[in-house]
Amino acid sequence: MSYGSIIKIPFGPQHPALKEPEHFLFEVDGDIVVNVKPRIGYNHRGIEKAFERRTYIQNIYLAERICGICSDAHTTCYTQAIESLLGVEAPPRARYIRVIIAELERIHSHSLWVGIAAHEIGFDTLFMYVWRDRETVMNLFEMISGNRVHYATNTIGGVRRDIPSQMIPKVKKGLDLLEKRFKYYLNVAQTEQTILKRTENVGILKPKDAVDLCAVGPTLRASGIKNDVRADDPYAAYDEIPFHVITHDGCDVLSRIIVRCEEMLESINIIRYALEHMPEGMTRVRVPLAVPEGETVSRVEAPRGELIHYAKSNGTMKPERYKVRSPTLGNIPALCKMLLGGHVADIPIVLAGIDPCFACMDRMSFIDVKTSKKWVWTMNQLKKHTRKVK
Amino acid sequence: MEKEKENEIVAKLREILKEKIVEVRVPRKRRIFVRIEMEAFKKAVKHLVEDLGFKHLSTITGVDLGETIELIYHLAYKGSIELSLGITVEKKNPNVPTITDIIPGAILYEREVHDLFGVTFEGHPDLARLILPEKWPRDVYPLRKEYTLENLHGSIFKDEEGEK
Repeated sequence: MSYGSIIKIPFGPQHPALKEPEHFLFEVDGDIVVNVKPRIGYNHRGIEKAFERRTYIQNIYLAERICGICSDAHTTCYTQAIESLLGVEAPPRARYIRVIIAELERIHSHSLWVGIAAHEIGFDTLFMYVWRDRETVMNLFEMISGNRVHYATNTIGGVRRDIPSQMIPKVKKGLDLLEKRFKYYLNVAQTEQTILKRTENVGILKPKDAVDLCAVGPTLRASGIKNDVRADDPYAAYDEIPFHVITHDGCDVLSRIIVRCEEMLESINIIRYALEHMPEGMTRVRVPLAVPEGETVSRVEAPRGELIHYAKSNGTMKPERYKVRSPTLGNIPALCKMLLGGHVADIPIVLAGIDPCFACMDRMSFIDVKTSKKWVWTMNQLKKHTRKVK
Repeated sequence: MEKEKENEIVAKLREILKEKIVEVRVPRKRRIFVRIEMEAFKKAVKHLVEDLGFKHLSTITGVDLGETIELIYHLAYKGSIELSLGITVEKKNPNVPTITDIIPGAILYEREVHDLFGVTFEGHPDLARLILPEKWPRDVYPLRKEYTLENLHGSIFKDEEGEK
């Protein structure tokens, strides 16, 4: 049913606490979203230009700071690109350590997301539980790398830190706890009415749309498409480690929750296998400072999906051009599609469903184009509205 | 065979595009770099997407080569083989046909390159700013080589003082 007047709702961009602010202009007919226009760049830092000004060594640290959640995915992608330009390969033990850190990062990122998704649908008990358990993986990071966020593990030609044998039992103990908890959360997601009522058949992304709009990562896999860079274009030690690519064909927010929960369990298995089968030996090779002329494309499966870097070198110590495409940008066209035809009240959870670096939603104004009446809602007011409607 | 599928794809491309291909490199398994003439561009993309199964566009990279701008379209075959299709456009007249009619997912990548390199994608539904602020001066494209951090600061301050 149409209400005859389209109302435009600007959504975002400013949020004082979180990163990556984004702006969306929604056009709604009654309570139904009929058009979405994204606008990003509020946090554009000119990193690609900055890469051209810095040496390859300095750029490791710059790449680490592209994202605060998947910092390791960016350095893995960066160091792989430069290693390929130099024609060197990281030693086998280093490649296993890269896998272990990458999978721990996936667990921390996905559990952070499950907490946020629970919070967005007003299920704060689950949010508190998941984030409490997430501390286990953060503590493992601190033990292995000395840091909770920027692990600074990768370097060109290998890794900077070894995982000594006395740490392995501690990591395994942490994994046992996480496995128990995530099995429980997977069960909660599939049976708890609070979650089912808010996420089933919400934010539909059909498989054809997911492919046409070039969606990536768990968003794509929750629409039943079996694509994962770790399996399709293996890097580090993924070609030596057996694992399953998790898919789900529900195409809705619920599927995205289930895919991420199951991926965390799969990550635990990958880490266990890697710890058992990690070869002995050195963890890095020395590389020259200047990189010969060439170009390369490097890909990594970051927690949010395919991450791609393009590097072009000119024979000096600084790159000629460095391009980064993070998975969130790849998922925005698909996100716009998911929001179409949905309710205003479902916007927060659908938006959270692609796991953007969730930034944009604390302030929004609603404008009726016919009467020019304006009002502003905070995120909390929108949530109250959400709960009233449901 | 080491690069069997890759070579098969290259052979099929050669068959369709013939002398329009400028350069082909297969540096390793699952990586192909192809550079082609501008006039064969749409035909090449259509063929890659519809006949050869390169359905996923990873991103579009712009590279400033001095007199020209190179656009590299990174296309993936079943998530696995990454083909980088390069074309060059004149910096003075940087016009390229859009590929959003073939790959709808290209919509933001084209806007990004438009913003940062000043390339116009003809036929794109909405080439509005995506990344740079609304107040950013027109005709200043930060990823072009003539803009350094120093003179970029200059242009931004000029704009803020309302001189430009």
